Amino acid sequence: MNGDNLYGNIIKICGSKNISIDTEIIESYSKDLSFFPEKAPICVIWPSSTKKVEKIVKLANSLKFSIIPISSDAGPRHHGDTIPHKDNCVVLDLSKMKKILKIDGKNRVIMIEPGVTFGDIIPKLKKKGLKIMLPLHPRASKSVLASALEREPVTLPRYMWDSSDPLLCTEVIFGTGDLFRTGTAAGPGTIKQQEKAGIAQVNPMGPTQFSPFRVIQGAQGSLGIVTWVTIKLEMKPSIQKVYHLQSNNLQELLNFQQDLLKYRLCDELLILNNLNLACLVKQSLQEINELAKKLKKWNLIYVLAGRGKLANDKIEYLEGDIGDILKEKGLDISKNKRIISDVDILHFLGQADTNPWRLRLKGGYQDIFFISNLEKIPNFVSMVEKQFPNDLGIYIQGINQGTSYHCEFDIFYDPNIVESSNNLKNKFLEMCTALMDAGAFFNRPYGLWAKKVFERHADSTRIALKKVKSIFDPNNILNPGVLCFDD
Amino acid sequence: MVLEKEVFKEFEVAVGVGNVNDGEVITDVYAYNWCNEMFNFMEEKEPIPYSPRPKAVILPSTTEEVQKIVKLCNKYGIQFKAQSTGLGPWNSVSTDNSIIVDLRRMNRIVKIDKKNLYAVVEPYVSGAQLQVEIMKHGLNCHMPGAGPQVSPLASATSMNGPGFTSPSTGHSSRNVLGVEWVLPDGEIMKLGSWGLKNYPDWFIGDGPGPSLRGIMRGWAGAKSGIGIFTRVAVKLFPYPCSTDFKISGHSPNYDFKKPDFMRLYVIDCKNLKRLDEIIIEIEKEEISFMCSYLSGLAVMAIFANSIGQLMNLMPVGSLKSPLIIIIAARTKREYEYKQKVMDLIMQRYKLKDIIGKQYTPNSVFYGEALRSNLGLHGFIATGGFQSSCGVADSAKICLNTSQLNIPLKKIYIKKEALANDFGEGGWMSSYESGHYFHFESPTMFDQKNKHSVKGMAEYMVRSNQLHLLKHLGAPFFVEGDRMHDIFGPHMCNHNIWLRKIKTTFDPNNIADGGFYITPKKD
Repeated sequence: MNGDNLYGNIIKICGSKNISIDTEIIESYSKDLSFFPEKAPICVIWPSSTKKVEKIVKLANSLKFSIIPISSDAGPRHHGDTIPHKDNCVVLDLSKMKKILKIDGKNRVIMIEPGVTFGDIIPKLKKKGLKIMLPLHPRASKSVLASALEREPVTLPRYMWDSSDPLLCTEVIFGTGDLFRTGTAAGPGTIKQQEKAGIAQVNPMGPTQFSPFRVIQGAQGSLGIVTWVTIKLEMKPSIQKVYHLQSNNLQELLNFQQDLLKYRLCDELLILNNLNLACLVKQSLQEINELAKKLKKWNLIYVLAGRGKLANDKIEYLEGDIGDILKEKGLDISKNKRIISDVDILHFLGQADTNPWRLRLKGGYQDIFFISNLEKIPNFVSMVEKQFPNDLGIYIQGINQGTSYHCEFDIFYDPNIVESSNNLKNKFLEMCTALMDAGAFFNRPYGLWAKKVFERHADSTRIALKKVKSIFDPNNILNPGVLCFDD
Repeated sequence: MVLEKEVFKEFEVAVGVGNVNDGEVITDVYAYNWCNEMFNFMEEKEPIPYSPRPKAVILPSTTEEVQKIVKLCNKYGIQFKAQSTGLGPWNSVSTDNSIIVDLRRMNRIVKIDKKNLYAVVEPYVSGAQLQVEIMKHGLNCHMPGAGPQVSPLASATSMNGPGFTSPSTGHSSRNVLGVEWVLPDGEIMKLGSWGLKNYPDWFIGDGPGPSLRGIMRGWAGAKSGIGIFTRVAVKLFPYPCSTDFKISGHSPNYDFKKPDFMRLYVIDCKNLKRLDEIIIEIEKEEISFMCSYLSGLAVMAIFANSIGQLMNLMPVGSLKSPLIIIIAARTKREYEYKQKVMDLIMQRYKLKDIIGKQYTPNSVFYGEALRSNLGLHGFIATGGFQSSCGVADSAKICLNTSQLNIPLKKIYIKKEALANDFGEGGWMSSYESGHYFHFESPTMFDQKNKHSVKGMAEYMVRSNQLHLLKHLGAPFFVEGDRMHDIFGPHMCNHNIWLRKIKTTFDPNNIADGGFYITPKKD
């Protein structure tokens, strides 16, 4: 590939201000917080429209360069999925595409471009009496679209009717350079024509007999570049009542939360260990350690919510029904000490984070996360605690109507101590491998995990995914080397 | 065209003697299906209720046997069409070079995981069977509008999936977890956590990485055009009320003891604009077990078990814009709260509930609602019906579609081809507490009358055109080459991408694509 040809063409598409080969800038895209080896892209491009993205992907097909799409420019990034695996990669930074294309309260849906962040959207929705299903205290600068595409778990599991939620329709440029819209957004008709007829782009299924949004989701940008999505919303409650149950018995809390989820009795619902809860609430190392010491090891948090004239009636009925479950399980929450204020809990459950909570304790962390069934969680916890007895945050999140659980282990460390980082890398990878071998399902296989994950999964999956890649990105233009697309 | 002797023998070795048949009596039976006559006419064929005769019918009992069949089909260039409970023309072969793979011997409930809230079923388990078993654990499953007699596996993997309980149990395609799938080339694929080499389990169907559920199906399924599904895990939900199910008497007019915390509301919203507001208001409160808009005649039908009963239901048939809501609860508190919400909404919109005043349904209605048996009432008036339209998105597009469809339907009512429902016949349901809605127009015709079949087929074609011209979303039956190629240019050329999937995953074109897509031409 002739570099001049590339830059000349990109400048024609995006303008000279929207491409950079500045060493400092491109190096900032060459690494992240993960152990994935550093590698710089050849340039960074900031397109401002779908049309421009389409032209760049077509150019990539003709000039044979690769594209790594990124949604939010302000890091920190975490999982190695946006670091070039191969030579000749350009980063397509979509953070300048930050239009909120619609907020539709009646149909509980928003349409947003990739650069729209949680920090942007939460206050805007609040004003309209709406809320978005949030991952756990997301970074304010994190792209809402990227979070949904990456299947990040949300803290409101009863609204997660499918594992793909809250993602609905998408507009995508496939690796071929073709524009496609998924779900009801596919048509017939343009988006304007559809809206005139009454379509709100709330049905993600289809078009017709396939659902391409499902293969785009979880693909780490390797099949298509998504230029807008619609995201499911919920009504903002007028009353929220927070419950924080502490216990040293994880099983007891797991069993109880399973009933809360099964009967859809509460809104936010999650389990945290003392250290992760302290990190979410406090800012400094000293404060975090102090709070963690006061807390019991396991913390179940749930929120009851109501709105409108019958908000209190709803909470009363929910409290009554939950009380019955507690009695049946022999749990007594009346002695539960209130150590953390409701305001603090509602803050991390409902707001974006300007000081990333996983970095507060030591300045660095590595996270291990996977999906499990209910029964295996205690065993996975024991395995990780054995290897990482200190500075370990744990987060357990029921998902998909209680049919499975996101298990997350946050290993906090000081990245400035080189020796500790090097030791951690090997230990981290060994731990991941051991968990995989014990049945943990790493369904979001990032960076260094990917190869090991696919080795432990049926060969037919890898073969099928390669077929999918050959359909939507036959020239391997998009984020080459991620997942099982290593050749 | 029967199988050659050696080929027959090889199939017999694969599945056992007695489980392969290519005799005329058997293959003719499998060539018949409900609505074949109408689809034949739409495809410019004779309006007879028969598909081409399958070359043979084969009954495997395990995934491995299914795999052997598919490999033999690849070896001999024979197409296959799989069927589970077999309702509708989608179960019929589209060429005389196809065999039927009848999955009725695969009839096991493999697992009920009451902790992780899912069940794993084989193809010939019916919704009714599954529901009975999971009720023992206080659980319920989603069932499609087609009824409790059909296969949850077929609905989840291969067909459509709207149901009467969708406000609280969602849509079949969104309830899928792990899947076992014999691809058209004979390879076995296991989706999600079921594909793990260590400790495979069924709790999730996506990943690692992209979810191949997106290749498996869309809003509609591939109707066996992308392989054969042998086991699927589907989500379970808490049973909505007490599982004490007391029934006596004789079919179809059973006596059923209505559970304590279950209440039906039938309210007239007076016009569709108000109905649009009211249904969304109710659904945002997340109180309904069932919440449907039905046209007057359709309301009459769900309460009737005979034409005689139907004709006596004029008080409910005369409602302008009826909304049918069922609330159900496990506890008295929950029940009272839900009733308060309904009271408040009814006050706000000045609505009246006719139940217990103008009309009291037979108790069996509640049993049928719990068993998801209401769809079958569509057969009462003429014995035959099929649904046109089939859009799924906002309530507004559903109601707009219903209105735009009326004048068109009336043309064929006037021609005496369709039963007279004043053009209004329709069913709209909420999904997932009103996050989206779907509308279809059940249309009654006489399957034995050529004029009626011809009229129904013409109406379906024109109704589909209406969707295209007025941007009403894709209707149900965009399937088969002809329909995909008509709609494709107006829908992001989806036909091109679907065809690429077909050719990539089925290079020998072995899975019968008559109701999916074929590699085709150009």
